[in-house]
Order: sequence, then C-alpha cells, then structure tokens
Amino acid sequence: MLDEHLVLLPIVIPLMGAAVGLVLHNHPKWQRLVTWLAITISLSFTGLLMWRVFGVQETIVLFVGGWAAPAGITLVADPLSALMAFMSQLVLWGGITYGLGCKDKCARYPTFFPLFLTLAVGLTGTMLTGDLFNLFVFIELLVISGTVLTALSDDHFGPEAALKYFYISLFAAIFLLLASGSLYVSYGTLNMADLAQRIAADPNQPLLGMAAAALMATFMIKSAVVPFHFWQPDFHTAAPTPVHAVLSSVVVKVGIYGFIRMTTLLFIDYSHTIQTVLLVMGAFGVFFGGLGAVGTYDAKRMLAYSTLGQLGFILVGIGWGTPLALAAALIYAFNHSLIKAAMLMLAGSVGSRAPVKTANFDKITGLGKVTLPAGILFLLGGMALAGLPPTNGFISKFTLFQSGVEAEAYTSLAVIGVGSLITLVYVGRAFQRIWWEPMPEGVEPKPYGDRLIAPAILICLCIILGLWGWPLLQTTTQVTIWLSSPDHYIQAVLDTAVLAAH
Amino acid sequence: MELLIALAIGAMFGIGIFQLLRRNVIRSAIGLIIISNAINLFLLSAGAYEGVAVAYLDAVGQRSDALPQVLVLTAIVISMGGFATVLAMLYVISARYKTSDLDDVKRLRH
Repeated sequence: MLDEHLVLLPIVIPLMGAAVGLVLHNHPKWQRLVTWLAITISLSFTGLLMWRVFGVQETIVLFVGGWAAPAGITLVADPLSALMAFMSQLVLWGGITYGLGCKDKCARYPTFFPLFLTLAVGLTGTMLTGDLFNLFVFIELLVISGTVLTALSDDHFGPEAALKYFYISLFAAIFLLLASGSLYVSYGTLNMADLAQRIAADPNQPLLGMAAAALMATFMIKSAVVPFHFWQPDFHTAAPTPVHAVLSSVVVKVGIYGFIRMTTLLFIDYSHTIQTVLLVMGAFGVFFGGLGAVGTYDAKRMLAYSTLGQLGFILVGIGWGTPLALAAALIYAFNHSLIKAAMLMLAGSVGSRAPVKTANFDKITGLGKVTLPAGILFLLGGMALAGLPPTNGFISKFTLFQSGVEAEAYTSLAVIGVGSLITLVYVGRAFQRIWWEPMPEGVEPKPYGDRLIAPAILICLCIILGLWGWPLLQTTTQVTIWLSSPDHYIQAVLDTAVLAAH
Repeated sequence: MELLIALAIGAMFGIGIFQLLRRNVIRSAIGLIIISNAINLFLLSAGAYEGVAVAYLDAVGQRSDALPQVLVLTAIVISMGGFATVLAMLYVISARYKTSDLDDVKRLRH
C-alpha cells in the first residue's frame, strides 16, 4: 500500500516545501534551508523511485484518491517517466543550489524559492502523470511559476521576456486543451493507457488527426523546435541565471517526453508520419540553432540558440525511431540537460562578475581572467557540448551516429554530422572571448560572483558519465525495451486498476 | 444546437485571435481571455450533444457527461491565475517602457 505512494513523493514534497517557505517569508535563512532540504529529499526519493523501477523492475502505478483507472487521477512511474523525472529533479537540485549561492537581487525576493519549488512540482508532475488533463494542469503550473520567476529578474527587460514566454505558452496550453477535448469526444477517456488502447482499436475517428496535430503543436512550442522557437532566445537573455539554467535544460525536455509518448504509445498507427516531421524539423534545427549561436552577441543567448541545435539532434534520434536511436535520443537528452544547465550557470557566474550584470560578449571580454576555475569548467563543458571525449557528450553523439548508421539513414546522418561541427565553432569562440582575450583597460570586475558549486557538481557528473557510461546505457536500453510495445504500459496501468478494484 | 455552438466557438476563436494580434496591450490580453473561453465552450460541448446523450456512447436517455464540466471548471480556475499574471506583467511593462503599444516592447532584440 505504502509502496505505490512513492510516486507521489517527488510531487508532494516540493509542494509542501513551497507552502512552508511561504510561511517563512520573513525568515530568509530558514526559507532557504527548507527549500534546499525539500529539493534534496525529493531528489533522493526520485532516486529511490528510479531504483524501484530499474533495479526491481516494476512499474509503480498510483490511483490518487483510490479511484481506479480509467476513472480517477493516475500517476505512473514507468521506466521512461522515472528516467525523465530523475533527470528533472537532478537539474532542479542543481538550479536551486546555484540559486542559494547567487548574488542576484531577485533571489532575495521572498517568493523566489517557493516559486522554484512549484516549478519543480510542475515539471516532475508532467513527467509522472498518466492522463492528458493532468498534463495540462502541471504544464500550466510549470509555465506560471517560470513566468513569474523570469519577470522577477534583475535584468530591466525581464517582464518583456516573461510576457513573450507566457503568451506563447498559453497558446500551447490552449492547443493541449483542444487535443484533450477532441480525444475525449472521440474516445470518451483521457487516461493515456486507456486512450492508447481505444485509439488502436478504432483509428479512424475524424477528430484524431486534429488531436495529433494539436498535441504536436503543444510539444513543439514546449521544446522550442525551430519554427516555434522565436520566444526562446529572447527569454533566455533576460531570465535570472538559476531559472533559465533549469528552463533551457529540463523544461524543454517536456516536449521530448511528449514526442516519445506520442510515437510509442498514443499514435502508433501514425508514428511514421510524426517521425518524418520530427526528422525534418530536427535536421533543420541542428543547422538553424548552430548558425544562430555563432552569430549572437550574448553568451546566454548563444547557449539558448545552442539548445535549439541540440534538441534537433534529439528529434532526429526520435525521428529514426529504431530502438537504438530512441536509446541514443534518451542518452542525449539526459546528458544535454546536465551539460546545458552547467554551461548556463557558468556563463551567468562570469556575467555576475561584470560591473553591471550582463552576459554580453563586448562587456565580459577577458573577464574570465578573475575566475580561472570557471574557465576550466567551461572548457570541459564546452568539450561535452561539442561531443569530445572523455565527456558524456561524446557518448551521446557516438551512440546517436551509431544508431544512424544502423538505421541506414545516411542523408540525415551527413546533415547532423556537419551540424555538429558548428558546435565546436561557437563554444571555442565563447571561450576565446571570455577567457583568452585580454581584459580591456578600465574594467573593474567585482571581487565576488556567484558560487561555482552547482556547475562544478554537474560538470563532474558529465565527466563521470563520460568515463563510466554503461549505467546510463543499460538504463536507456531497459527503457527502449519497455517502449518497444505499447501493451507494456497499457497492461501495467489497467491491470493494476483491475487489482485495485477487487 | 450543435451547429449554433460550433458557430459560436468558431466566431469566438476568430475574434479572440484578431484581438490577440492587436498592438494595444489591453486588447491583446482580452483576446487571450476570449480564446480561452472559446476553448471552455468547446470542452463543454464535448460533454453532450443536445444536452441528453453522451457523445461517444451514442446512447439515448442518459444524462449528459459531467467530466467535461469538471474539466471546464479546472480550466477556468487555471486561466484566471494566468490572466492575473498577464495583467500584472502588462502593468509593469507599460510602466517601464512608457507605452501601451506591444510593437514597442522589443528591446531584447538587437
């Protein structure tokens, strides 16, 4: 009985932490302690959940309130959800740890950390929920927390960035509601397992195509896939560092999670069409993101464009659709989250040394001279982003290319091969501008900047996963075996429902 | 009734998107409100045809489905929170940028 409540803990603990944090708004030190404890405990329970799902090999299904699926609210920790939830919590932990040591004024705002925890609730809930409407609820929670956190930013233009993000995300939410309404009209259920079963039994409902298209639009806006990306670089230029380190690395993975669910569970009959669309957009995104990153004026903006490119690689992996390619896409997603969060934190921490906090290349030229450790970490992170050994970026690129060779998709392979070289250009350029070139006369960097603990831990994880990659490889292989047939998920949820009913 | 609701949803979507694309900050916020109400109407109409039979089951004599109404309630509450956030942000923006024209809100682009 208690076992299945394990899946509830990563959602409930940050929520309680946020509530306690709001009560303690007059006591910043206690609030910070509570926030950090809440995210640490919730991370360790997510780790336990990971172990239960992968070590003991059981899928944990919880019917909240005791109403069995398909009627009630379902939380499902299957291998895919558990991996994604763990990834999110890991980076969120890094983000909050960075936020505790950052010099931004907004981090001293009394609702900053409670909002960060509700962001964690929304993100983890999105990965763990088992029905479409709760997906909407959690995504809205995520978006509203993220927006307010951005609008709080020290940057004068924070509200503009937040407004752009919020308008476009509200549109995504509206598309998600459209999709759930159409699916409910056609199939009379919103539970994903039940829905998958009914769609497979009757794939010719007229509203099915519209639902699939609306879901695609939702997840593309969430992931900032190239034609839907326009809010993303602006947003990341102005957001506070701990916030956009989380938003650019794990929140964009919500869309990746959605695409994997769509192609392997919900719309199996149409998965080929969806995969083709993803393949084309991904290959386009690799180039667009890479070239955009080369041409920017701001380190954070460069990393935001780089996210577009890196997501392109993941989409190409999902687009190939073979088990190995899916595993490669998952490895890529996991590694990219760690690398990108660390890189954004490093860019932000160098920016915090500037006389006026900024990440504009012209203003932070040579500023890295005062923080050599950040330079070493940035170099390692840049190697990981470009996919050089001995980092985890090498492993993700290697498995992706290997899966492409196996899938015999040589055209797209050539395209992303060329695209991946661009990464080297922009990372090298950023390193050269910040750490190699001499500091201009008359610039006085601040003696203290943001603490480097969080990015250091994340970069260490990147190196460890690069040298000792088989646990991640084994885990993702287990996920792809699970994803190979939608029956696994359907049976796990509906059989537990039958058991619970008796 | 079905046709009427369909036309109403369509009209609200059209008006909402038109308003959303206006340059005035308040008009665009009102556009968002209208679109989300169109969606709520759509969800409501997913519950029943003619207020009697459940849509998918196609059975006569049953009460209309209550679930979409619950969904609409949740969606209304969430969108209320969303609009409060939007209006607060628009207030800050119009004070900082000294404008009510969304086309002037583009200082992040260089």
